[in-house]
Amino acid sequence: MSFMEMKQGIIVTQGLMKQFGDVVAVNNVSVSIGQGELFGLLGPNGSGKTTMIKMLTGQIRPTSGSATVLGLDVKKDPIGVRERVGIIPEQETPPSFLSATEYLDFVGEVRHIPDVQKLADWWFDFLDFGDKRDVLCKDLSRGTRQKLMFTQAFIHKPTLALIDEPLINFDPIMQRKVKDYLTEYVKRGNTIFISTHILEIAEEICSGFAILHKGKLLYTGTVAELKERDQHLDDFFLSLVEKDGHV
Amino acid sequence: MFKLFTNMMKEEWRVHSTMFGSLSFALFPVMIFGIAFMGSFLLPLFRAVVPPGYLAIIIHAMFLLLGIMVGGFGLLGMEVMNRRFGQASLLSYSARSLPISEQEIFCTFVVKDTVYYMILWVLPVVAGFALASPFIAVPPYLPLLLLLTLTLAFLTGLALIFFLSTVYSRSKQVLGVLLIIMAIGWAAFSLYTGIGPAALFPPLQLFYTFSWPTLLVACAVVIIPSAIAVLLFTSECADATKRFKNALVPLTKKLSFFPYPPLAAKDLIDLLRSGSFIGQTLFSFLIPLGLLWFLLSVLARFLPPGDILLLFAILTGVIASTMYTWLTMFDSFSSYTCLPVSVPSLLKSKMCSFAVLQMIPAALIVFVSLASGGAVFLAPALVLCLSVSFYALAVTVWLTGLSPSVLVYDARVLLTYLLAVGVALVVLIMLAFVNPFYAILSALLFLPAWLLVKVSYAKWDMQDQPWF
Ligand SMILES: Nc1ncnc2c1ncn2[C@@H]1O[C@H](COP(=O)(O)OP(=O)(O)O)[C@@H](O)[C@H]1O
Ligand SMILES: [Mg+2]
Repeated sequence: MSFMEMKQGIIVTQGLMKQFGDVVAVNNVSVSIGQGELFGLLGPNGSGKTTMIKMLTGQIRPTSGSATVLGLDVKKDPIGVRERVGIIPEQETPPSFLSATEYLDFVGEVRHIPDVQKLADWWFDFLDFGDKRDVLCKDLSRGTRQKLMFTQAFIHKPTLALIDEPLINFDPIMQRKVKDYLTEYVKRGNTIFISTHILEIAEEICSGFAILHKGKLLYTGTVAELKERDQHLDDFFLSLVEKDGHV
Repeated sequence: MFKLFTNMMKEEWRVHSTMFGSLSFALFPVMIFGIAFMGSFLLPLFRAVVPPGYLAIIIHAMFLLLGIMVGGFGLLGMEVMNRRFGQASLLSYSARSLPISEQEIFCTFVVKDTVYYMILWVLPVVAGFALASPFIAVPPYLPLLLLLTLTLAFLTGLALIFFLSTVYSRSKQVLGVLLIIMAIGWAAFSLYTGIGPAALFPPLQLFYTFSWPTLLVACAVVIIPSAIAVLLFTSECADATKRFKNALVPLTKKLSFFPYPPLAAKDLIDLLRSGSFIGQTLFSFLIPLGLLWFLLSVLARFLPPGDILLLFAILTGVIASTMYTWLTMFDSFSSYTCLPVSVPSLLKSKMCSFAVLQMIPAALIVFVSLASGGAVFLAPALVLCLSVSFYALAVTVWLTGLSPSVLVYDARVLLTYLLAVGVALVVLIMLAFVNPFYAILSALLFLPAWLLVKVSYAKWDMQDQPWF
């Protein structure tokens, strides 16, 4: 990674660490992600991906180390970070008693988005769930809730989006649509950070990736490098994780 | 059925102990035991002032009330856990996919709740009293009898609330009619016969004079409403295809005087659509307070009417402060984590909504003052009630942030709460008894309340919010 990229890193962490009691969920992670990347954080279940995203979006406080997102310190200005980025959490939890439209209105009010209804209409159409707009969130299927969460993350057109396990509840058609949307999105100069344990997704859409295992960063690189070496991401991943002693 | 029961018990334990840490949680019954043990030593003091018969009424009514509150909380718990824990939802719900009837699940749920709270509350109290009884000259059979009658009183409350709430979920009109008939019947009986209505309460009769027929009646009062509740039970699988008219934007505009109008609008919508506005007002506010009023009127022979009214105002204030839980229970913090909303602003917004809800206790105090002929004391009663409520709210927010249900299970937190609120209450009661108008001084409580809230903002901003 060049000095310039480091300089304008959209996400930069230094020795980031999070402990829950005795569990070290994220252990001394330093990464830098530049503008226009579609970056994949890969790792088996429990490796600390969700914890990492939560720290980067100011939802939980790092135990030690530092992280800046869009130039803002996540410890000092978590709300500022959340104002600027879009987030899709691992568990889709829109408020139970608001309808889908109302939830988007709510997001619009909180984020001060002008004309949120018009933007919402576009998303209802794009992700094909306009027929559910007046149904309460608690009565929506998981797939529809995921669509709604996708919408709330992008409706304010953030320059950076952080997505935890993005495609898990989507059917193949929707997955295609969303993958295309994400690749288009970064082409326009935005940045996306996704976490996933599904390697095919990463191999297909990501530019850069990092492998996290038991909270530690094992590898950072680009998908292009792998392709040059004619290596498959899943073989590479498994060999790394096995070397690190995964059972 | 038994398997389902043990699984539910395990689950309850797991949920509570992971939420609050198993030690604090396991200490809970120990603390209740300690309080009961030490409280028993106050009995001789009480007996000097209050005739023993009345003391029995008070303690039985307290357990009836406990049953009612716990029942209400349990039913809500079923709803809330389901919502908060989402996918990892409780057995009582996931069991829907098992080949077991809903009645059976509900029935097991009721039994589980009963056993669970008996262990948490009833047994420790009786054990504490039993251990203290040799020191305070109470005959040794009394704790045993008390175990029986208090358990029955507790179960009667539980059964009553399960019964009323299943009626409520079937038809609100029928419930209304039923409550009115019960109230009129009760009043008519006591007016006509001149017998205090407390005499009608079978566990109490059983305590005064033990007899097998009375025991049978006392059990019937528990079993019949529970049986009807189980028969009437339907899980309100609300029509999932129901459409709702967009209410958020218009409400947000109307509530523009709030610090965070969209958050306030969401609170209001949650309250109305979850059905908790009417349900809560009835089950966790009016019914317990109705009972308290009755309880206090028993004391009417020993205290001047103004004191009774002020005592009632204080207790109303404490119960009114629990309205904070109405605003937090259906609201998972996880729905805000992807938005730029800070914990302090959320707390502030909830407290503003809380302030609006305080119209309910205020109205009740006005009504009771006028109806009981205590209109002269209206001003001190009102100030007292609201100050206590806001002060207790501030203590709750300081101790529990956005998850006030922690109070019910975490021994350390509950103890701090009892101390902080208890001391203030004792001082206020003494002031009010010296001169009812001194109760106006309770407005001074707004100062510590304000300070506590300031501290809470900083405290809860620094902490990670729980994942549920
Ligand atoms: N709030 C929490 N309290 C305690 N432990 C946690 C908490 N959140 C995550 N963990 C632990 O941290 C580790 C990493 O979890 P997570 O970040 O969710 O992994 P991933 O998203 O990669 O599956 C796991 O061992 C998990 O049990
Ligand atoms: Mg995860």
